[in-house]
Amino acid sequence: MATNDLSRRAFLARIGVLGASATLLPQCAGPELTGSESSELGLGVIVNLLRPVLGQLARDTLNGFVAFSVPGQDDYSRAQGTPRGEPGGIAAGGTDFLIENFDRFLPLPDELVRPAGAALVTALGDLPLPIAGNLLFGLLGPSVVTIGLVDNAVRFILENDSDAPLSLPVALLLNYVATATNPASLHGAFVSPFARLSFADKARAMAMLETSQSRLVALIDAQVPQPLKASVSGLLQFFGGALHEFAAFGCFGESRRYSPATRSLTGRPVGWQLTGFVPDNQPGDGWDDLLGYYQDRREVTDA
Amino acid sequence: MRDVIVIGAGGGGPVVAKELAQRGLSVLLLEAGARHAAPRSEWTHFENDANNPLTGFLRFGPADRNKPAWFRELPQNSFLFQVSGVGGTTQHYFGNCPRAYPGVFAGYDRPDADAYDAAHRFPFRYDDLVPYYEWVEATLPVQTAAMGRKERTFFDGCETLGIPVQTTKTTLGDSFRPQQNAILQPGGNAGLTRELSRLAFPQATGCTLCGYCLQGCMEPIRAPRNLFAKRSTDNSYVPMALTADAWSPHGVPITLITDAFATRVLTETRSGQLVATGVTWRVGATGETHTETAQIVVMAGGTTESPRLWLNSGLPNPNDWVGRGYTDHYFDLVVGLFDKDTDSSKGAASAARAEFPGRGGMENIGLGPALQAFAMQLSDSGSRGFYTNGRGFTGPWDGPTGRPIGPELKDALMNGVNRLLNILVITDDDVEAQNRVLLSALPADEHGPVPKVVFRPRNRTARTVANREFLVRKATQLLRGAGARKVFRLDWAPLILHVQSTMRMGTSAADSVLDDTAEARFVKRLFIADNSALANALGGPNPTLTSQALATRTAEKIFQRYFGGEPWVGREAPVVSTADAVTQAVLARGL
Repeated sequence: MATNDLSRRAFLARIGVLGASATLLPQCAGPELTGSESSELGLGVIVNLLRPVLGQLARDTLNGFVAFSVPGQDDYSRAQGTPRGEPGGIAAGGTDFLIENFDRFLPLPDELVRPAGAALVTALGDLPLPIAGNLLFGLLGPSVVTIGLVDNAVRFILENDSDAPLSLPVALLLNYVATATNPASLHGAFVSPFARLSFADKARAMAMLETSQSRLVALIDAQVPQPLKASVSGLLQFFGGALHEFAAFGCFGESRRYSPATRSLTGRPVGWQLTGFVPDNQPGDGWDDLLGYYQDRREVTDA
Repeated sequence: MRDVIVIGAGGGGPVVAKELAQRGLSVLLLEAGARHAAPRSEWTHFENDANNPLTGFLRFGPADRNKPAWFRELPQNSFLFQVSGVGGTTQHYFGNCPRAYPGVFAGYDRPDADAYDAAHRFPFRYDDLVPYYEWVEATLPVQTAAMGRKERTFFDGCETLGIPVQTTKTTLGDSFRPQQNAILQPGGNAGLTRELSRLAFPQATGCTLCGYCLQGCMEPIRAPRNLFAKRSTDNSYVPMALTADAWSPHGVPITLITDAFATRVLTETRSGQLVATGVTWRVGATGETHTETAQIVVMAGGTTESPRLWLNSGLPNPNDWVGRGYTDHYFDLVVGLFDKDTDSSKGAASAARAEFPGRGGMENIGLGPALQAFAMQLSDSGSRGFYTNGRGFTGPWDGPTGRPIGPELKDALMNGVNRLLNILVITDDDVEAQNRVLLSALPADEHGPVPKVVFRPRNRTARTVANREFLVRKATQLLRGAGARKVFRLDWAPLILHVQSTMRMGTSAADSVLDDTAEARFVKRLFIADNSALANALGGPNPTLTSQALATRTAEKIFQRYFGGEPWVGREAPVVSTADAVTQAVLARGL
């Protein structure tokens, strides 16, 4: 196996793609596609196979993040070591909230997303990390799908899809920092390495994104052409904070218990239940909270 | 040709539009976002529906909510809280109307004169602006805020600080007080009941204490638009401007065009001087562009958009101060958890404040659960207990600064959204050239290159940092005095929400874009009437009232200089926006 192939394989493992592919790709009985990974037929087949796999990877990864943001009674909260007796972000629909908003509404120009995606798959693959060979064991087994094909398919999806879901690069980035924080996250329950981390390790992984001057940020910048160079790293730092804020907003908001058609609630939002907001579950048009005027003063003047 | 084209129907543009319509000029008011003509059928009280920055009806984006929001580049951990649509950010504002501290104006010579940003004062005296404050305070109108339980809790804390109650509009020393708010005081059943059947106008008038200032005000139910409680410009100045003929003897109603994003200010050279001649805008629904000419152009798209439009129009920038000097009050948030009810999510969102001239101020803010959670995740100090991002300050608050995450966040919020008190720390921050708007190198959108908003929170001036550290300690002391069991200090990353001074007026031509009448130094017949025109951060007070007073003054200057008119402020009595003549016209015209 060529060194380059090994490093790409390690990289694909670290962003979660290899594990997800091994778990979720149908047992391909198709034609042997060796060597000619640039063949359009092979690439097209793999791209189509890979899209739903990557979608599931993104969902699993964001489940891991939402449980980190607002832990609950779910498997992800248990796995990170913070089980709770009441519902959390996953029950509140936080994962759907993030995916829908990222994929449908995040107004990032394609011209930014594509080079950023390319930088992601190029730069991160070159970042040396202390991953012991045996941790890759199991993800290196024989497969009818070559690493080169999977690698090219991921690149293709990130760089060329005009409708590439933005939740995907976010998820790949989270998995990348997850394996950098704890290489043991390459294996275990769930599809996503990030989802396999303990709560404390998730916090350490997020620190890699948020901390200014991080090596990760510098490496990604180095791969991006001017004039976008500092913009991509700045965007990463923005995301390092915004993920926390946006996930919490989604988990404590009404979105999963709201019908746009009727402009009303379909049930009690989890965040309202947790915080005791409007106990009668009606947003209402007033409260009986008037206590009067401080010192009975209803107006002031300078005269 | 119009007499005047005003770009932007936010906090400032409608003020100029209304004042000049009242004088009989022909005014075109352009708004990039939605009209929001029928809030009861377009809006809800839900936080995600209203405030989601990507999809909410109060986002910064096209009138068509199925289209993505407008992208702007933020190359740091920060959040830029813009709102499009008629009313602009006043749609979600809290209506707080403190006057600027006198120390930020020219000629201030009291003993604490050096405590302010002395290098960037307004180019006129505080006393010169007072008549314009009075005019706006009467027009909106501005009234002393009623008190709910969260205000009572805030005052309980203030009473332990050893500072007096302020009973004037002008602030001269450390003090606390109810807000002067652009919110009609509760009348009838308002504030006394939750029963919907008793809350419809006219059984209820003014503020019903519903708790949804941030989601846009449409209270009381069935009230005429100009009698909605909160005096956002969509409820006050815009209805007046659209009905100017009905309540002013010389008035001419304005033309309002929404879904119209200004992309270029047109100019020509006359007698060796560059002058503004018109505006080009793009219609969101169709993508068509239109151009109209005018004798005067007023830019009022906001502190981020005005410099963007200036630069995209290729207008001159000889001193390189277009977009520079962005002030944002270097906010911080201090949150106290209580073992008693505070009713934080009820009532007008902020109805109490404390003043510390030379340092800044603070106010209570009430939030629903989603924005409360959002507010408690924004931090420049990383995640408490795990990483500090090089900060993690300790002080009289509990634990290090930073966002509580996972179980700690959940426990804090499960204490109850109505058993906490938020104090927004509003710092008097210095005008700094490094904090700025420039054009992004990222791909342009349909309106041209997008703005890039750069803040360097780690590199603020020593005075700015010291002011914030002083205020967070006072806020913590206030919360402890009010009985808080646990106090979090978030150390917010930039929440760019009070925005000022990117196209600042100033005494020196070397570091200002506007002269002392808010006319551009480098382009005649071009004025600016949004917060970007402010000379500085006002010492900390919330900026909208001062921006509106300044816009009134600017309208008067336009009328005198270019239309041969007489000034009116101080000579005439203002018409209040709730006047019966306005109401009748609003009802008759279905506004």
